[in-house]
Amino acid sequence: MADREPLLRTGVLLPLFFLIVTTVYLAAAFDIRSQFAGAGEMSPRSVPILMACLMYVALAAVFIAEFRSPTQDGPVRELLRPLLVIVATAGYIALFRPLGYWLATLVFTSALFAIFHFQLRRPLVFAFYAIAVTALFYGLFAGIFGVRLPTLTAGVF
Amino acid sequence: MDIFIDILGGMSALADPYVIAFMIGGFLVGTFFGAMPGLTSVLAIALLLPITYTIDVVPALVMCASIFMAGMYSGSITATTINIPGAPSSMMTAIEGNALMKKGFGANALGHAALGSMIGGAIGAVLLMAFMPIAAELSLLIRTPGKFSLVLFALVVIVIVDKGNIAKGFVATLLGVMIATVGIDVLQPIPRFSFGTETLVEGIDIMPLVIGAFAISEVLMQSENWKSNLSSTLEQAKDLKIRRRDFLPPRAEIREIGLLAYLRASFIGYGIGILPGAGGSMAAFVSYAMARSSSKTPEQYGSGSREGIASAEAANNSMCGGAFVPMLMFGIPGDPTTAIVLGVLVINGLQPGPRLLENQAELLGPMLGSLFFSALVLIPLTLWLFGPWFIKIVSIPKGLLYTGIAVVALVGSYVATYSIFQMSLAVLFGILAYFMRKQNYSTVSMLLGFILGPDLEEYLRRALSLSDGNPVVFLTNPDSLFFLALTALFVWAILIRKPKRAMPRTESGEI
Repeated sequence: MADREPLLRTGVLLPLFFLIVTTVYLAAAFDIRSQFAGAGEMSPRSVPILMACLMYVALAAVFIAEFRSPTQDGPVRELLRPLLVIVATAGYIALFRPLGYWLATLVFTSALFAIFHFQLRRPLVFAFYAIAVTALFYGLFAGIFGVRLPTLTAGVF
Repeated sequence: MDIFIDILGGMSALADPYVIAFMIGGFLVGTFFGAMPGLTSVLAIALLLPITYTIDVVPALVMCASIFMAGMYSGSITATTINIPGAPSSMMTAIEGNALMKKGFGANALGHAALGSMIGGAIGAVLLMAFMPIAAELSLLIRTPGKFSLVLFALVVIVIVDKGNIAKGFVATLLGVMIATVGIDVLQPIPRFSFGTETLVEGIDIMPLVIGAFAISEVLMQSENWKSNLSSTLEQAKDLKIRRRDFLPPRAEIREIGLLAYLRASFIGYGIGILPGAGGSMAAFVSYAMARSSSKTPEQYGSGSREGIASAEAANNSMCGGAFVPMLMFGIPGDPTTAIVLGVLVINGLQPGPRLLENQAELLGPMLGSLFFSALVLIPLTLWLFGPWFIKIVSIPKGLLYTGIAVVALVGSYVATYSIFQMSLAVLFGILAYFMRKQNYSTVSMLLGFILGPDLEEYLRRALSLSDGNPVVFLTNPDSLFFLALTALFVWAILIRKPKRAMPRTESGEI
């Protein structure tokens, strides 16, 4: 039954997020000022305002459909691993320049292996694969394509 | 005719060993990604997009074309061997191919899939080369109001093919258009939606959007289902003995399928490829359904029809050629892969349109040649060389695979512009795309909205400016009226007319 579904579910929260984004977008669109406008010319804010209005209509249809036949969320624990991946990725981005490619990627790779439960019971194999993945992509980017990747010394000094 | 000769001349670049290396490398990457359930050729090209910043445009385009062709073909490998389509476009092949596999004709089914892909892919590439000059001439006739109506047609088709989720498809497409409006205005030097930051004045690049929507979101999706559920299937398939000589389909079987069936499937695939947002799955489904309805042996369908395999595979590979037509002529991608190829063109400063073909045929020729060569030579060669080991592809542990994808995606998004901001943006788009995919919003629609949004705005504003703000210009201009009528026809045919059979829908939103 529709009324028994919790209100705070992804099927409602995601369009709600889009609604907030659209409102901020629309407010910002009204602040856009045109430098010049000839007869019949649309200003730089016209299309964004039109898009925002269309978005409201589309979101209304999504909300109506969602309340008529709610989409059920999976168990909350389902989100744990994606959340861990996001945290690991955020950490990787934060440490990429300070630690350099080698160390940051080695830590990131190990974190993802742990999240995916890859070779956790065999530490030596785990370490071998973590180093191998780090070295493989260093070879691809720096070796084959000649890209300059950040180093530990560049990050520290 | 001159353009056709220029294209053929441009193909001589394929003789360069450096370019050949990228074509073969791209084909192998595409085969791997296409064969691996959950991975697609779109993801392969998305991951390699940052690399195209560091190499010349010719090898980059050649590599993209061979990945595209390989990805379409190789979905049939796991579809046949373990009944799990490596790519959504191989769903029909899974039905017939795996039935043959269970009867002990797995290698024969793989051979028919490769032959169908080879013929379809080659015909699609030839049709592309043959009709490109004509398409270029025709596109020159389209004026600004017509261009607006054409882009509108593409966006409407993208939304309505997402049947059952039209409102969500509309939201995703509009979101893409809105993201594209960030940065300098398309006609005036005015920054929009920069929120006081210099970084956003430059706008949002296609690369973090592609990496986020297709690579990061896939890693997040897979981390949710991290336990491999293929182990029992793989155990059963482990004892399979596949011999190379069994890959060659007997002449009698090819005669039974008939040349006409291959040609019909190829033309259907090519035609569907031209439609924006349609893709390989629709091509395979329509071709399979038509082959079944006109078959002399319809009773074989569902229990191992070689004709069914040939029709589906010829159509989805021929689609590759068709999908390039609107992308190269109008900048309107026929499917997500060509949308990313369009990104490669734009990154290299090439603007799609008839002038591109006239002035840069030497750049496009190798790409078109790569489509043809990949279909005609690399498909059979790959099957012959690696066929007996195809089953091993799916046995790679998920943890290793998706960790590798995450590293390539993140480092790739950094090396393209040496920017931590781009890396962060890719992750933000990845998180957004993850939740969108969980709620059946098409990330492909978002990408196409992002690509087509600026064109839509520019043509709309130019057309109204030229007509002193009179919107009737869209109805009085013959080419504009044609595309508006075509839009109405598609809305009627897909939405209003009672559908005979629903298309199967995939996780990625592709049908």
